[in-house]
Amino acid sequence: MSMRSQVYEWANLAPSGKTSTLRRTTSDLPVELPANRELDLFIGGYGNNITKPAETTATQFVVIEDIACAAQANGNVQIRINTTDYFQNPDVTNMLGIPGLASPYPRGSASTAAGTDNLLKSFDLYPDVYVLPGQTWQILYTTRDGVGSGASTDVVAAFVKYTLYDGPDALIANKLLELGVTINPNNVDWYKRSLIEQQQAAASAAAMAAAQGGAQ
Amino acid sequence: MSMRSQVYEWDATNYSSAAVDIAGSVGQQTSIFVGGLGNNITKPAETSATEFVVIEDIAVTPTAFVNSGSASDYRGLTLTLGTGIAGPRAFVQVRINTTDYFLDPDNVPNDGIPGSGSPYPRSVNFQPSFNLYPDVYVLPGQVWDVLVTWYNNAGLPTAGTACVSGSLRAFTKYTLYDGPDALIANKLLEMGISINPGNVDWYKRSLLSAQ
Repeated sequence: MSMRSQVYEWANLAPSGKTSTLRRTTSDLPVELPANRELDLFIGGYGNNITKPAETTATQFVVIEDIACAAQANGNVQIRINTTDYFQNPDVTNMLGIPGLASPYPRGSASTAAGTDNLLKSFDLYPDVYVLPGQTWQILYTTRDGVGSGASTDVVAAFVKYTLYDGPDALIANKLLELGVTINPNNVDWYKRSLIEQQQAAASAAAMAAAQGGAQ
Repeated sequence: MSMRSQVYEWDATNYSSAAVDIAGSVGQQTSIFVGGLGNNITKPAETSATEFVVIEDIAVTPTAFVNSGSASDYRGLTLTLGTGIAGPRAFVQVRINTTDYFLDPDNVPNDGIPGSGSPYPRSVNFQPSFNLYPDVYVLPGQVWDVLVTWYNNAGLPTAGTACVSGSLRAFTKYTLYDGPDALIANKLLEMGISINPGNVDWYKRSLLSAQ
């Protein structure tokens, strides 16, 4: 269980009278969202949140493989590692990230709340984004239009898929990073196999040397 | 027959032709095997000493996020005025012995994979964003479970708290390795090789060629 595929889904849903919640409830209602403000999916104070910022421990390694958000309200989604935004404009200035139109969530949803189209993804997060041990990471959702309050409020969602490497597999992930090899479950398994093969070769060489020494 | 592809489909009403009241379980984790709701099996899912299970896919009825001002059903999902959520807002989690597989980034177990990310059934309107890779291994002697949690009873297509067949379903696909193939699966696990039918066959061939 040391390589685990994980997802986190965020939506602007919270119990009545609150803007955020740590646990989803059966009475969640859509929450108003400000326009042009980066909202942390994990601890942003809107929708479902978690107890503390997302961070890797010294024995964890995270590989972010996909991010997506609702296309309605001109939503965008950005990755931030420590204080550095991953997606930038060509002039190296800040941007809001991947538009929901390019990486829609749910996939196949419409471009507007009343739309009838089926959005497909134009964007693939490749190469993946690595969060090294000890780093803090954020997924930031921004709506250019804002989501209004009252009787007609859009429900918007965002999604991140990542793989969590823990314990020995996180050490191997670090080693692969040093070697310049892409970090994915296949390559971690390949590295384990190569370690085992090296150990077996060393053991058989030692046994052979011992046998030859005994014969002399 | 020692490597077998298996599926299990769960329906919250046990495929009943009449509506079934499932409100008592909303917001709670419900086992699709022995949860006491919908179609169940006779005992918890567990592997014997000579079995190895690889879970390859899990999915649940999707949800659509729309507008709270709308009350029209949306793409086959029920939408109640004021909620903005069409469908059950369901999630699916895998549990091995007592450990939940899916965690939040703060390492707290969560509800699992959302139906919007891994929909069942898949359609043009509801496509997967999630792929269960790496697979989940259930080693010999372990107990495993698939747990569904849903939060939006108002997204079920009947008045009140009842549910009709097909409006809340979950699905899991797994491969069962039995007997000698389970031993090979254990050996592949030791060697750090992904366990799938191709690699089990490769190991058998390498044994034969070594003889």
